[in-house]
Amino acid sequence: MASTTATGKGTGRRSLNMVLFYVFVVIFVFVSVFPLLWVFKMSIVTKSELYAAPPTILPQSLSGANWTQVLGDPAFQKALINSTIIAGVTTLICLFFGSLTAYAIARLRFRFKSTVLTLILAISFFPAVAIIAPLFIQFTALGIIDTLASVIITDTVFALPLTIWLLVAFFRELPVDLEDAAKVDGATTIQAFRKVIVPLAAPGVFTTAILTFIYAWNEFLFANTFLFDPSTQPVTVVIPNFATIYTVDYGAQAAASVIVTVPLVILVLFFQRRIVSGLTAGAVKG
Amino acid sequence: MTERNEGSGAFAGRKLNRRDFLKMSGAGLAGAALLGAAGCGGGASSSKLIFSMGSIIPTYNALIDKFNKQHKGEAEATLRAMPSNATTHYDKLTTEFQAGGGDIDVIGGDVIWAIQFAAQGWIQDLSDDFPKSEQEKFLPAPISAMIYEGAVYGIPWFTDAGMIYYRKDLLEKAGFSGPPETWDELKEMALKTAKDTGTKNGFVFQGSNYEGGVCNGMEYIWTHGGEVLSDVTSGKVVVDSPEALAAMETYASMVADGVAPEAVANYDETTSEPVFGAGDAVFLRDWPGFYALLGIPEKDGGYPNIKPEQVGIAPIPVAKQGMHSWSTLGGWNQYVNAATDLQDEAVTFAKWMTATEQEKFLATDGGLRPTRKALYEDPDVTEALPGVELQKEIIFNNAKSRPVMEYYGDMSLELAEQFNNVVTGDTSPQQAVETLQKDLSNIMQQAD
Amino acid sequence: MTTASREKKERSWFKEEFGDPERRTAYYMVLPSLLIIVVIAFFPILYGIVLSLTDSTVTAFGSFVGLENYIEMFQDPDFLVGLSNTVIFTVASVTLEFILGLGIALAVNRAFRGRGLVRAAILVPWAFPTVISAVMWRLMFQPGIGIFQYLAEKIGIISGPVLSDPAALLISAIVIDVWKTTPFMALLLLAGLQVIPGDVYEAARVDGANVYQRFFRITLPLLKGAILVAVLFRTLDSYRVYDLFWAFGAKELDSLSTYVYEGVRISQLQFGPGNAAAVFIFVTAFLIALFFIKVLGMRTSTEE
Repeated sequence: MASTTATGKGTGRRSLNMVLFYVFVVIFVFVSVFPLLWVFKMSIVTKSELYAAPPTILPQSLSGANWTQVLGDPAFQKALINSTIIAGVTTLICLFFGSLTAYAIARLRFRFKSTVLTLILAISFFPAVAIIAPLFIQFTALGIIDTLASVIITDTVFALPLTIWLLVAFFRELPVDLEDAAKVDGATTIQAFRKVIVPLAAPGVFTTAILTFIYAWNEFLFANTFLFDPSTQPVTVVIPNFATIYTVDYGAQAAASVIVTVPLVILVLFFQRRIVSGLTAGAVKG
Repeated sequence: MTERNEGSGAFAGRKLNRRDFLKMSGAGLAGAALLGAAGCGGGASSSKLIFSMGSIIPTYNALIDKFNKQHKGEAEATLRAMPSNATTHYDKLTTEFQAGGGDIDVIGGDVIWAIQFAAQGWIQDLSDDFPKSEQEKFLPAPISAMIYEGAVYGIPWFTDAGMIYYRKDLLEKAGFSGPPETWDELKEMALKTAKDTGTKNGFVFQGSNYEGGVCNGMEYIWTHGGEVLSDVTSGKVVVDSPEALAAMETYASMVADGVAPEAVANYDETTSEPVFGAGDAVFLRDWPGFYALLGIPEKDGGYPNIKPEQVGIAPIPVAKQGMHSWSTLGGWNQYVNAATDLQDEAVTFAKWMTATEQEKFLATDGGLRPTRKALYEDPDVTEALPGVELQKEIIFNNAKSRPVMEYYGDMSLELAEQFNNVVTGDTSPQQAVETLQKDLSNIMQQAD
Repeated sequence: MTTASREKKERSWFKEEFGDPERRTAYYMVLPSLLIIVVIAFFPILYGIVLSLTDSTVTAFGSFVGLENYIEMFQDPDFLVGLSNTVIFTVASVTLEFILGLGIALAVNRAFRGRGLVRAAILVPWAFPTVISAVMWRLMFQPGIGIFQYLAEKIGIISGPVLSDPAALLISAIVIDVWKTTPFMALLLLAGLQVIPGDVYEAARVDGANVYQRFFRITLPLLKGAILVAVLFRTLDSYRVYDLFWAFGAKELDSLSTYVYEGVRISQLQFGPGNAAAVFIFVTAFLIALFFIKVLGMRTSTEE
């Protein structure tokens, strides 16, 4: 743990630093969370307070109407399930193929590495909005329009570049002789990968998993274009539909947004423990 | 779904399993969706129709059920929900059309989509199934908005027109006996009433850079005697005229003279209505449906603080006394996909949906204004639609279609932008009119 | 070199690549990802490039017109505004996100009470669904009812609606993006920090290095890989910004991608320049990536 012990100026300096540190932490947390708190307030006040000008800081007239509406909406419940499936499957596929590819690039020897990496990166150069139509045509031909598969595939394609590049960066940090040590013990390339590299690169792997999951969870453009049947749509498509032809129900959208954000945060809370524990997982012996 | 653990292990067998899982889940979900959508009943011989519509209200579901009951064994319709946002909805439809037509048979679409879809050959010419004798039973404005090259391309379903809402009680307090007839009167009344009664804003409207802004702006141009195109579906661009210029000057003066707050440049329906609903505006320009929200509890989406008795409805003001008032036509119609295999069934569905009985149900159950003239004499309808007596004349006589043509998408972008610039003051009325003349002429040239 | 020996060299290259079981394994490991990306994305990207060189419309495929669409695009004031907005946005956002993200990562890297909760809280902006986030933010900036518009007026930063002022709109968009994606940076850099073994710091401290020296001589260099990946991807993402500008700005804020969207999906006549703009984004993004790889020394392999 870093601090100012080197200069030995004493506990006074140290506690000032700690206080400053905690002040900054509190500010960061407040700034990060404030908009969510505001949106939460939007979801629990009456419509007239929602549109009050000037806006009220603390909620004055509470109403649970938005929450009962959203929680009881079967379309929304189904959408939550769809979002989970899309995000979950995308993450697993990306991790699986991505870590294989990244490992090969980072630790094994073969030509064309730069070419491969650049090809993979190339998809990140193209604005998604421009290729919606041809993708749609492609998927229609494949017959997967209106299925979760179309969105999962597209999300995977767009999430793989970051996954691979990130894991390459992480795998490269690991000491070179790890595999050799494992091989001396009789492991194959694949086994060395599974049993030695992956656990040590766990912080990177879990971070990539979280980022990919959140990306797929929040993805809107492809889900909106490829999915027509409401029973296949994820929350990003369903939430803007809390509206009529003439007007938008911001209160309900606010409630839905909170419902959608909180589980993600809990998910990260759960996973971030694993990020830390990855560190303590065995070092090279001897 | 089976449990699976983290992706370690690179054996070919497991790779295949993942792919199979994807295929299975995709197929399974598609199957489940189809099953769910198929609903009840329907024998092997009945055709499965798909009807698409946005912003679903339970009324549509009820209509679908009724159709299925009445046409059991022949046709079975399912409702496909489209996005509530009009731009996203349009985008989704065009994606399907571009990919070869898609599987939607009947499309519930905005009135301004008719010409655009027709010009690209995406929807069916319904002149044979919807002859003039039938057309006469409907309001003229929605029909005229669907005529392309002499043929009619849809059947009107429900309609809308712009109008002015005003606070009768506040006007009375300020000493005015009735609503304004001219724009100058509106400005005068708004300023004085707001001042005398302590109301925050004189006039609010939808001035943001979107289709609603076009609706607002067009009303100014028409009520000043101007036009954008010399006739609705083709013709010359005539927006560079003294009348249109005067219109834009009036439009700009709303904010410049303090009649309306600067905020109107960012308002749409959702953000302008609450201002009036909170009692913070004397005048509001909006669609007919707003009246039904007055005095209704909040949980039903209403504005309980302002009662219907306090509010009057007036036609859009005109430039000079005696001129004809015009309102932008809104509304949704039934279109038939040109690529449908179920031609006859689709037309049957469209005609059924627009039959007297169904339109009446739309009004009594859904609060939507019918497009059949006779229904406005029906006491059940007038009872179910708050304010419709006051709105009837506007809907019948004042509704005018926006200058829709093949490239209305481009036109709309231009109009929306320039109208918004006029409201914010970023462009002078003169500049706006000149820019519109130039850019719209460009567009019209490419249309030939 | 004689022909015979050159042939032998070529043949042995092939053999060396695919004959070696370890190398073969490597190719097998790489192939699936490559296949997914190339098969799915290749056709659409190629299609977009071809379209940009023709006078096609939304429905009809047109004839080859060379660079006409590109010329029209460069002369379009909307495109130029979009370009400048995008560049300003990208540079400002990424810089701010990097500095803040690094700061947060360093702070959270220490063990302190409530660290887990702080980590989760800091991730909230990233978890918030983008499409809703932009809409909610627009509400928060609406004149009258928006809390941030209210505060901005109170503090005196601005006198009219933020949403009507192009400069204020762009600055607000930058602020929102920094709010939203700093967690992304922080998370990446944090993971990178945690892979650095603790004993490196111990050794340095024993040698008498102070905080700054430890940071600049040890932390930054060891973090370089993660930093470059994070900054590269954030730059590419910012460069393609669409959702935020579209939903928050409601047509008042142009970016390169909103220009593409308007041209390709809404307008009918701007289809050509819209596609040209998409290709423009593609080519310039490629150049940006090249810059990162060549100039900033982003290593793409372990080969020295």
